[in-house]
Amino acid sequence: MTILEFHEALKNKKTSARETVISYLDKIKKENKKLNAYLEVFEKDALERAKEIDEKIASGEEPGELWGVPLAIKDNILIRGKIASAASKILGNYVASYDAFVIKKLQKAGAIFLGRTNMDEFAMGSSTENSAYGPTKNPRDMSRVPGGSSGGSAAAVAGGLAMAALGSDTGGSIRQPAAFCEVVGLKPTYGAVSRSGLIAMASSLDQIGPIAQTVEDAEILFNAISGKDEMDSTSVLKKSSGAAAKVKTIGIPKEYFGEGLDAGIKKSIDAIIKKLSQKYEIKEISLPRTADALSCYYIIMPAEVSSNMARYDGVRYGARENGEDLVETYKKSRGEGLGLEVRRRVLLGTYVLSAGYYDAYYSKAQRVRALVAEDFKKAFAGVDLILAPTVPTSPFKIGEKINDPMAMYLSDIYTIPANLAGVPALTLPSGAQLIAPHFEERRLFEAGKFLEQ
Amino acid sequence: MISKAEIEHLKDLARVEFGAKETEKLAKDLGEILEYVDKLKSADVSNAPEMTHALEGVKNIMRLDSDKKSELSKELIDAFPEKENNYLKVKAIL
Repeated sequence: MTILEFHEALKNKKTSARETVISYLDKIKKENKKLNAYLEVFEKDALERAKEIDEKIASGEEPGELWGVPLAIKDNILIRGKIASAASKILGNYVASYDAFVIKKLQKAGAIFLGRTNMDEFAMGSSTENSAYGPTKNPRDMSRVPGGSSGGSAAAVAGGLAMAALGSDTGGSIRQPAAFCEVVGLKPTYGAVSRSGLIAMASSLDQIGPIAQTVEDAEILFNAISGKDEMDSTSVLKKSSGAAAKVKTIGIPKEYFGEGLDAGIKKSIDAIIKKLSQKYEIKEISLPRTADALSCYYIIMPAEVSSNMARYDGVRYGARENGEDLVETYKKSRGEGLGLEVRRRVLLGTYVLSAGYYDAYYSKAQRVRALVAEDFKKAFAGVDLILAPTVPTSPFKIGEKINDPMAMYLSDIYTIPANLAGVPALTLPSGAQLIAPHFEERRLFEAGKFLEQ
Repeated sequence: MISKAEIEHLKDLARVEFGAKETEKLAKDLGEILEYVDKLKSADVSNAPEMTHALEGVKNIMRLDSDKKSELSKELIDAFPEKENNYLKVKAIL
């Protein structure tokens, strides 16, 4: 059942919040052991919240659009009083002391949180195999990865273990698992959604966004979580003019269809282009800096990671491993508490920011980032939307790429440019990715709904 | 390529530990990643500014430097790995 269908059923008293929550909890009990999508299920809280919602409806209140909607929340988004571990050992016992902005908004809107979902540790990975709590499996094929890092959230939605979910996207962590699990995933414009209460990975790239069964559901959730928040100075209030989006032309960037794109994916994107051409004008465009985007990302991201991860040192919260002195305590706590991929990125970030290397790496990457952003700006002067594949290959086998970081990194090659430029992008169950100019999410929804028909 | 001595120095700077086997693999992995990102060296950036914000027109926002009572102190203190009374306990610094 989608959010919209559930809302109609709830309004017409065809179902209750409690009945719906119980059906999801039953499904989780049956299937989560093999799927490992949830790290923890909030059974008691979810049932209590559902009871409150049903009582309000019984007393004659008109239910809001998100009342009783059972959601899965990625384990790097804080819910007060609950563990938020970012699937890391170092935060295994960390209890959130406040609610993320998006959590507050969803709670106010009447949504119910079913539990916290598995992910690559601190959102670093593309397969959910980097979790300290075991890999999540792809519900469409249990021998394959669900993608990552929001793999638990995508698997929960695809497997029917949640009506919808929240994830976070730094280089593709919502869109790549959405494509692998054949669900809808939205990375909003940078600044459209507050990052307050999101455990930071690379702050200039991170965004929270919805994973859902339909474009309409993703839109409902996006409208519920977006907005200005004084706790995140990069969040922006953008008032939509209310007028319907006017999408006339869609650009196809030739750089996204070169070497490395799987033939089957190319074929399915070609079919989508054909469908879009019934309603929109299709133009071939060029985003010439695409080839540099991945290199640029693998400098900027680890640089920001090395700085953001410095706070996990076993001193004020999280797991501590005592050494002889304070410095040794830092090293031991981080050595024991952080997984290999996280430590690898911390080291890489430390390297590119070290004295003597700054200009060659970080400064250069920041300049290339400006060029990647300019590519999009130029393209959007001639087209209203861009269509591209989300991923170059279909879901790979569990274990296939875990020992080859470069091969793993290449699976984000089509999603990273949108993060660098800060533009919004929507992935559909077919694997198609629509990209729009800043704050034009409504264009994504319009074309996305057309493709869904 | 990145040398063993450099890796040891970086481990120290970043305050992380790696096992012997991990270190060996690390040298290989970092070498491959750096070789890949080195492609950027040939990019012409002569006309490009450093991009420091994901959006144009975003400015730093300052707040008043005034005190505010936090309601979180109990929860924050409860999260300390080791404490004595309400004090955070750490190893000697000197």
